Amino acid sequence: MSENSANGVSRFAVELGVAALTGGFGAAVCYGSLDIGAGWTEMGPDAGYFPFYIGLLIVFGSLVNIVQAFLKHRGTEEIFMDAGRAKVVASFLLPLTAFGAVSAWLGLYVGTALYIAATMLFQGRYKWWIALPAGLGVSLVFFVVFEIGFQVPLLKGPVEAWFGIY
Amino acid sequence: MENIGLLIDGFGHILSWNHILLMMVGVTLGILVGVLPGLGAPNGVSLLLPLTFSMDPISAIILLSCMYWGALFGGSTTSILFNIPGEPSSVATTFDGYPMAKGGQPSRALTLAFVSAGLGALAGVVMITLLSGWVAKFALKFSSPEYFAVYFLAFASFISMGAQSPFKTLVSMMLGFALASIGMDTISGNLRLTFDIPELIKGVSFLIAVMGLFGIGELLLTSEEGLRFEGIKARVKLAEIGRTLIEIPRYWLTIARSTIIGIWMGITPAGPTAASFMSYGVARRSARDKSLFGKGDPRGIVAPETADHSAGTSALLPMLALGVPGSATAAVMMGGLMIWGLTPGPMLFTDRPDFVWGLIASMYLGNVVAVFLVIATVPLYASILRVPFSIIGPIIVAVIFSGAYQVANSVSDIFLVIGFGLLGYVFKKLDYPLAPLVLAMVLGDKAEDAFRQSMLMSGGSLNIFWSNGLVSGLMALGLVLLLSPLAFWLIGTLRRRRHDVAPHGDGNAAA
Repeated sequence: MSENSANGVSRFAVELGVAALTGGFGAAVCYGSLDIGAGWTEMGPDAGYFPFYIGLLIVFGSLVNIVQAFLKHRGTEEIFMDAGRAKVVASFLLPLTAFGAVSAWLGLYVGTALYIAATMLFQGRYKWWIALPAGLGVSLVFFVVFEIGFQVPLLKGPVEAWFGIY
Repeated sequence: MENIGLLIDGFGHILSWNHILLMMVGVTLGILVGVLPGLGAPNGVSLLLPLTFSMDPISAIILLSCMYWGALFGGSTTSILFNIPGEPSSVATTFDGYPMAKGGQPSRALTLAFVSAGLGALAGVVMITLLSGWVAKFALKFSSPEYFAVYFLAFASFISMGAQSPFKTLVSMMLGFALASIGMDTISGNLRLTFDIPELIKGVSFLIAVMGLFGIGELLLTSEEGLRFEGIKARVKLAEIGRTLIEIPRYWLTIARSTIIGIWMGITPAGPTAASFMSYGVARRSARDKSLFGKGDPRGIVAPETADHSAGTSALLPMLALGVPGSATAAVMMGGLMIWGLTPGPMLFTDRPDFVWGLIASMYLGNVVAVFLVIATVPLYASILRVPFSIIGPIIVAVIFSGAYQVANSVSDIFLVIGFGLLGYVFKKLDYPLAPLVLAMVLGDKAEDAFRQSMLMSGGSLNIFWSNGLVSGLMALGLVLLLSPLAFWLIGTLRRRRHDVAPHGDGNAAA
């Protein structure tokens, strides 16, 4: 994507990128539909019949969006996101992604406790004796609400297994 | 009347302490969800849905629908006290609600909002009570081509009535259809669009999409804007509430007009957000003295609130009677019905009258409960918003991840939610509408089945959609709606060109 005079990413570039992305998705849908058969069988329309036209419509819409991006947003100096804001969003997005990765490995209860504690500690600038109990507390509340209240299990990992909780 | 008798039966089904308690839980959770940034009604209902899989359908729908009412009320609270709309549909309430609260009358603003919202909702429910049986009976005549035509109409109206670019709406909607078709094909049993990725075989749940698009996406936007709440101290004064209640009958005209706008926009899939804006606009345009609008005019609170809630409730009529939801939240609830093993649509009225009329009865009761509960708990929720975002944000994320996992006990869904969150964030910033995507995901299979069965009936000829008066009428209406943006664009271009030629003749157009 093109940098707009070092101020950040221009809206024009992002509009183009997103339209290209949706267009690519549409093309993939068309390809996938043709792969399983988008024609007519003796049992009526094949499985790919309907999605194929959906894919075509996505491609068509994306192409028009690309044209409109050129008409509406080219040279407007409109910024999608500058460096400062990107940093703020990343500071929310990256811990969130790490939370997902850790949870897949250690389970959601441990992940939740770690994530809440870590964000409070590093981003909220709370002291560790506030952040740590808060993380554990939220996790505990989840356990009581989900496991005991609604009896819906959450993902558990090796830590729960040590304590013998399944 | 037949419907009234059925309604009384419905009250019989729901009047138990258990259900009243569920109502209060639902409303409370709903207000919470409406107040918190990043958690809206569609998202809240999606998060709660996996927890209801084991409940009986009547209790489950009471819980979910009351959460919806609560969320609508919660959204108004933050609009008035913090100038931050908790829901997109309460944006219009900030225009006059916040100035009035800031001017020293927060209780008056809140009471006006809640009571007019309650009135709007009740009007919506009365409409549902009177019309639903009739619509359902009418819909019993439908077969596959008519159903496809109704879906077509619903989606065409999205494209024509949406505030966003019609082609962005088209792409968003078709993405929803494509996502819905991933996984097992319901008719042939073939796997499709899985591209040999094992995680895709079970398909992509619309719940995951809602949680990502509306939840994580909204949180990313909130974090970017660096949310700081500058709230008004809300102390609800009983005397002020009383005085406001006496004041309300003065706005009967605004309320009546807004109700009609709301009901219309709710039945057609334009939804509560469009209804509240339109109603505000109409109230402002028709007011003799416009000077107070934007500075705390009571009509500026009453109009959007009434329309918002009457649209919100009316959105359940097409969902129940036709199986076509009128808003994103109604779409999620309809998905819930299908998960509980019920088929929304006209047959529901004959198969499960206890469920349908129980739900309608609970809407009367739930909205009354909601008005009282929200007035009583406003100070509490206002204090929740003073907790810094660095604590609230991560807790909401944790709730969303837990909810995402519970949908299908699948770890890959957690990452899918993050993906949808990014998509939602980018789409929101580029003005792609999100509601059509969700609606298409919920309706995708049904629309496709209707289309394929029609094709089977006709042997592959599209003429079946013009085979009788009913289906032709629906299709024609859909086509008119679909092409209307083009027509408006053409008229606009022509008019502009004429202005270029005769620049003095545009006195009327400018006024």
